[in-house]
Amino acid sequence: MSFRNMVLLCLCAIFSPSAWSTVFVQWNGATLPPASSLGVNEIVLAWERGAPTALLATARKQGYRVYVETPLNQATSAAKRCAEKSCAGIILNVLESESAETEKSIASLRSAYPKLRVLVLSPGGKQPKMRGSLIIKRDSVLEVSSPTAQPWIDTNLALIKIEQRSRRPQIPLYTFSWADQTILTADDYSLAVAEAGAFNADLVLQPDEHLQEGLNKRDGEAWALWNQVRSTLRFSAHASAGRLEPAANVAVIVDQLDPSDEVTNLLSRHNIPFQVFIAADLKTEELKGFDIVIVFAKLNAETAERINNLASGAATVVVVDVHGTYPWQSSQPVQLNEHTTSYAVGSGKVLELAEPVSDPETFAQDIRRLLGKRNALLSLWNGLTTIAVPYKDRGARMTLLELVNYAGEPLRLQVQVKGSFTMIRYETPEHGCCESLEPVKHDGFTEFVIPEIRIAGRVHLESQ
Amino acid sequence: MRFDKRWAAALVVVILSAASSAQSSDKQILVYKEKYIMGTVFEIAAYAESSEKASAAIDKALQEIVRMDDLMSNYKPESALSRLNRSAHFHTQKVPPDLYRVIEQAVQFSRLSGGKFDITVAPLVNLWKAALLGDSMPSLSQRQQAEGCVGYEKIELTPPDQITFRSSCMQLDLGAIGKGYAVDRAGEMLHSSGIRNALINSGGSTILAMGSPPGQPGWLVHLRDPSHKIDPYVMLKDQSVSTSEQTAVSLLAPESAGHIIDPATGSPIDTQFAVSVITSLGTPSDGLATTLLLLGPKVGKSLVDGMSNVSAIWLSPKAEIETVNHGPGILFGKQL
Repeated sequence: MSFRNMVLLCLCAIFSPSAWSTVFVQWNGATLPPASSLGVNEIVLAWERGAPTALLATARKQGYRVYVETPLNQATSAAKRCAEKSCAGIILNVLESESAETEKSIASLRSAYPKLRVLVLSPGGKQPKMRGSLIIKRDSVLEVSSPTAQPWIDTNLALIKIEQRSRRPQIPLYTFSWADQTILTADDYSLAVAEAGAFNADLVLQPDEHLQEGLNKRDGEAWALWNQVRSTLRFSAHASAGRLEPAANVAVIVDQLDPSDEVTNLLSRHNIPFQVFIAADLKTEELKGFDIVIVFAKLNAETAERINNLASGAATVVVVDVHGTYPWQSSQPVQLNEHTTSYAVGSGKVLELAEPVSDPETFAQDIRRLLGKRNALLSLWNGLTTIAVPYKDRGARMTLLELVNYAGEPLRLQVQVKGSFTMIRYETPEHGCCESLEPVKHDGFTEFVIPEIRIAGRVHLESQ
Repeated sequence: MRFDKRWAAALVVVILSAASSAQSSDKQILVYKEKYIMGTVFEIAAYAESSEKASAAIDKALQEIVRMDDLMSNYKPESALSRLNRSAHFHTQKVPPDLYRVIEQAVQFSRLSGGKFDITVAPLVNLWKAALLGDSMPSLSQRQQAEGCVGYEKIELTPPDQITFRSSCMQLDLGAIGKGYAVDRAGEMLHSSGIRNALINSGGSTILAMGSPPGQPGWLVHLRDPSHKIDPYVMLKDQSVSTSEQTAVSLLAPESAGHIIDPATGSPIDTQFAVSVITSLGTPSDGLATTLLLLGPKVGKSLVDGMSNVSAIWLSPKAEIETVNHGPGILFGKQL
């Protein structure tokens, strides 16, 4: 390589924005198509009783950055072999019981192999999908989903929000197993890719055996399917123009991060933008700007004092399963119903829910109502199967809205966002960027209609 | 009445498919599909001699539900119902036959229930829907104004397909009966495609059981049980079950809105009962479920006493049970 080319390459590496979302493809077959054909650069090979040496070499020749997925207890040997074979990195598949030792292992591996990326795979991912409320097939028996699992979508948003908190600065990386399903379609893969993209997460995607085999054998149907997925891959890998962060005006404070927690799942499904905090490392300034703070963590004197200060600054604080004596209780209690007591504190209030959340669906709707119209960052109509995630720029202005429609069929969607925007541009994997949408501004909000979202969509919000 | 019955979607269906009747039994192949229509997830499971036949039949049935949505949607501005709601005030409007039929049947339920069931309740539903979404509770004057628009007797039906509103502000909402009608239409489509054993579910609010799974006497359907203590169930064969239940009571607010409105009071009905009704078809089971929730067990039971082939159960979170059986027997999986 000439000196000039080398300099150009270095400049590109330095100034290219980091990928918004990266899809790593898990490959199990003995051979694989070139990276340029597949349209992905990252390939993941399993570390099973040793390095897949031949496949590793082949993958590198085919143009991939190769990652090896390994259990934590084999991470050291995997990293050593990986470094020898010029892998791009290793992905630690960590059990929940191993979470305590994970950070130590990561530090040790990064120190020993500084050129090797060390990533952690989040446990608990699930196949994103729309789900019938009643009938699902499992082992040839038709069963039923829980009524609290409504409104009918399985999403990884809560998991990703929790991972964003627990494993900063790594972009959340997750995977899932496909549910029992005889045939996986392009839409199944596209939805998975679109979800990770919309939520600013990385995904290890597992093409099923038939698809891998078909792609290897240059089967026309397999490639037709994959080419559909590629359009979503391109769409979801977009680099943001500047650094964006999820916008949220609801804070959730917990003692421990639990991706299976149904309350955070339901907040996600109701398009309530929230951010998760851990009580133990909470800083008061982090909670500024939130309209509602939900506290699931057990209260100690310090946290209770913070909550009191927060409420007095106009926030509404909902404290769940609360027992004991706290500073806000010095004001006059108002019994709202058999579950909840309200205390006015300064210009805000504290709501004490005397028990754990028994009905996450109702609780999520209550939070939506508490926010009220004035504080709703985002509202969707006809969007029961759609999740929208707003992002803000460094100036804290909402500039981007990522949308995923789990129904996978064209949907006309009415959207209202907080803020006054003069230009709304809409892009999709199918039609590219961008179609102008007509904004209707009123009372500090902007409304517009998305004519059609099939699986993925992105709205650019601009104000002059 | 209802703008959405997803909160009632707690019917539980378990088909006891023994190994013999699993994916394939006596050359009967089970095919399952789902589609988001009418603001809910419709699911159809159908048995046929080949997966191609079952699949094509299900596609046709789902397409028919899409057509029903295009007729009955309040959300779509160009639906036949939206057009009717815009233009039938003191003007006779010709409507598609399906829309006429469903409105005609709804009016029959209104008469039967003395006006408790009323598809003209839309202005009140819209008021309370806004409260559910974060608006303040409707004021008395807002409620009174909306109540002035309500009254099924102001719908003038002229067979075979003409409708006039004898009110300047009347609006129809078919949320309490439309999905039941759509389920019936889907059943007719499956039948016309040669399918005899199938289950159609509209988001849990109405289920239509056609025939039975191979080798089984019927489709075992677990009913909504807010107490989680009773596990009521029925064995359905060529029957339908619908469930109606008010929006759950708020955990954090002093008063609750709700999606099922009592036209007599202009306010959400205050009940924690879930009602399940079993009849021969989806339209009557859907309409009756809301009617019986609004009437309550005492009056509701006397209404059902005058009907044949209808069973109903009211069940509360405290496991209070009221039943009336003039149709399929309602059984209990657990004893208190």
